[in-house]
Amino acid sequence: MSYILEGLKQGAALLLPPSSEILQIVALSLAVSGAATLLAALAAVPLSLFLALKEFRGKRLLVGLVNTAMSVPAVLIGLLVYGLVSRRGPLGILGLLFTPGAMVLAQALLAFPLITALALAALKGIARDARDLALSLGANRRQLAAVVIRQGRFAFLTAIIAGFSRVIGETGMTLMIGGNIKGQTRVLTTAISLETMKGNFELGIALGIVLLLTALAVNVAMQGLQGK
Amino acid sequence: MQICVENLGYRAGKKVILQGLNLELAPGAVNVILGPNGAGKSTLLRLLGLLDKPGLGEIYYDGRKRSTMSRGQCTALRRRCGFVFQAPLLLAGSVEANLRFGPRLRGLNVGDHKIRLVLEKTGLNGREGQEARLLSGGEKQRLQLARVMLLDPDLYLLDEPTANLDPLSVKNIETAIARLAGEGKTVILATHNLIQARLLAAEIVFLKEGSLVQAGAAAEVLSRPLSLDIAEFSAAENIIPGTLVRREGRTVLDCGQLAIEVVSERSGGRAAAVIRPEDILVSEKPISSSARNSFRGPIMAVADLGAVMALSVDCGGVLFTVFVTRISCAQMNLAPGIDVSLTFKATSVHLLPLD
Repeated sequence: MSYILEGLKQGAALLLPPSSEILQIVALSLAVSGAATLLAALAAVPLSLFLALKEFRGKRLLVGLVNTAMSVPAVLIGLLVYGLVSRRGPLGILGLLFTPGAMVLAQALLAFPLITALALAALKGIARDARDLALSLGANRRQLAAVVIRQGRFAFLTAIIAGFSRVIGETGMTLMIGGNIKGQTRVLTTAISLETMKGNFELGIALGIVLLLTALAVNVAMQGLQGK
Repeated sequence: MQICVENLGYRAGKKVILQGLNLELAPGAVNVILGPNGAGKSTLLRLLGLLDKPGLGEIYYDGRKRSTMSRGQCTALRRRCGFVFQAPLLLAGSVEANLRFGPRLRGLNVGDHKIRLVLEKTGLNGREGQEARLLSGGEKQRLQLARVMLLDPDLYLLDEPTANLDPLSVKNIETAIARLAGEGKTVILATHNLIQARLLAAEIVFLKEGSLVQAGAAAEVLSRPLSLDIAEFSAAENIIPGTLVRREGRTVLDCGQLAIEVVSERSGGRAAAVIRPEDILVSEKPISSSARNSFRGPIMAVADLGAVMALSVDCGGVLFTVFVTRISCAQMNLAPGIDVSLTFKATSVHLLPLD
């Protein structure tokens, strides 16, 4: 027990003030996961809107696919992206393997079905009413989309938070694609995993605290937005 | 707006909601869509309001086909319609913000006096600043109506706008609806409230299980229902089943102890007599007249309906409901236990075949 307490104490001390290395790791984590979440949301928001509003043949199949994709293990997505971007893969010429770009791509693929499915579930009760209201009052197509997005903004926000939390905490896939290269692709989760295994327990704890605080800050900020 | 419906059909998944509907709705009048729950009333309104696409068939708006309209034309047509939903759909925000939403979508700016006017018409005077979602159910419904009235559409589509409301709100909304028809607007009102239909309808469309049962002038549908469903639904107070027989050159409906003379081409089979209470004359003594049916029996109950009193009279095991004015009721000292005579013409009896 004293071992853990000692670790916590030393870990906290490492953050006061944090070294430039820790700051860099935090910055890269936020940048990679933020970019990935943004990318995923850009695709997931229109798709969930479309699925919530449109009736078409094969819709159930598509929704089923999205829900299944949500439960695909991250490491399989890592495998897929690795195959795509490794030197012999179709995107190999871009030289993306072990770069933040490849990490963004993999994390976006992981977040996309999750954001889509969560947004769709939350939109179910909202989208049809918002559509009826807007259409009946004479909205055109663009206005209709604007009204539904506005009415469903909390649904999207919640789904996007969940997507971000998922990817910023992801380890295995990010390690596989990024390679945990110091100063280049090392992010919070991969650093925690490496430092702990190297025996630098207190550094692992320090980074863990940062990860927790980051997740907390994002959630508080989003909830603040929702309260408005 | 002239609206015509041709072979209209709609399904939700495999379930048939509407089928084979052919209708012509009266422009500039209140058209009431009547029918029990699940008859397809709401779906019909949604199709007419271009909120859903018909699975089958065609709707004509002033002669223009729904199926060939472009997206822009649909939007333009929707802007001539006002829809009031059964469950109020309101935005978070003030009453005024909700009212201004429609004009904003059209790029219009309406003056404050117009806002005040529609609030007055719907009995919501002075509520501009209130949070819309905190209004009572009746007020929400009136706000929905005010919102469409502000847009001054040609066609009003009202989906049970008075369901579950307090009597004052109902009165408010009914008055507003009656006024709309007076202004030459076409109103299509879905309801299962018969009293409302009697009060407001110029035309009645009766639906059941997605199909048309009867459509026509309100007085015609209510006094000459084509099916027992309508008769029962329209709470026709006197529905008396029996067997048609020929007796001494006349056709009578044999109802056990009672035989009602009727006018009918048929002279056999089961049938139900439908007699409107207002067609039955009540008197203290039997009266001699050309009316072919006269029965006598004790009053079982007296109900005060406001303008009129409803008497239940037991004639040979058949309970008749008849109306008398409050004054006559007092003058004749009508009370439970007193014998009265009921007289009605054979031509006042509407017959429904039962087999």
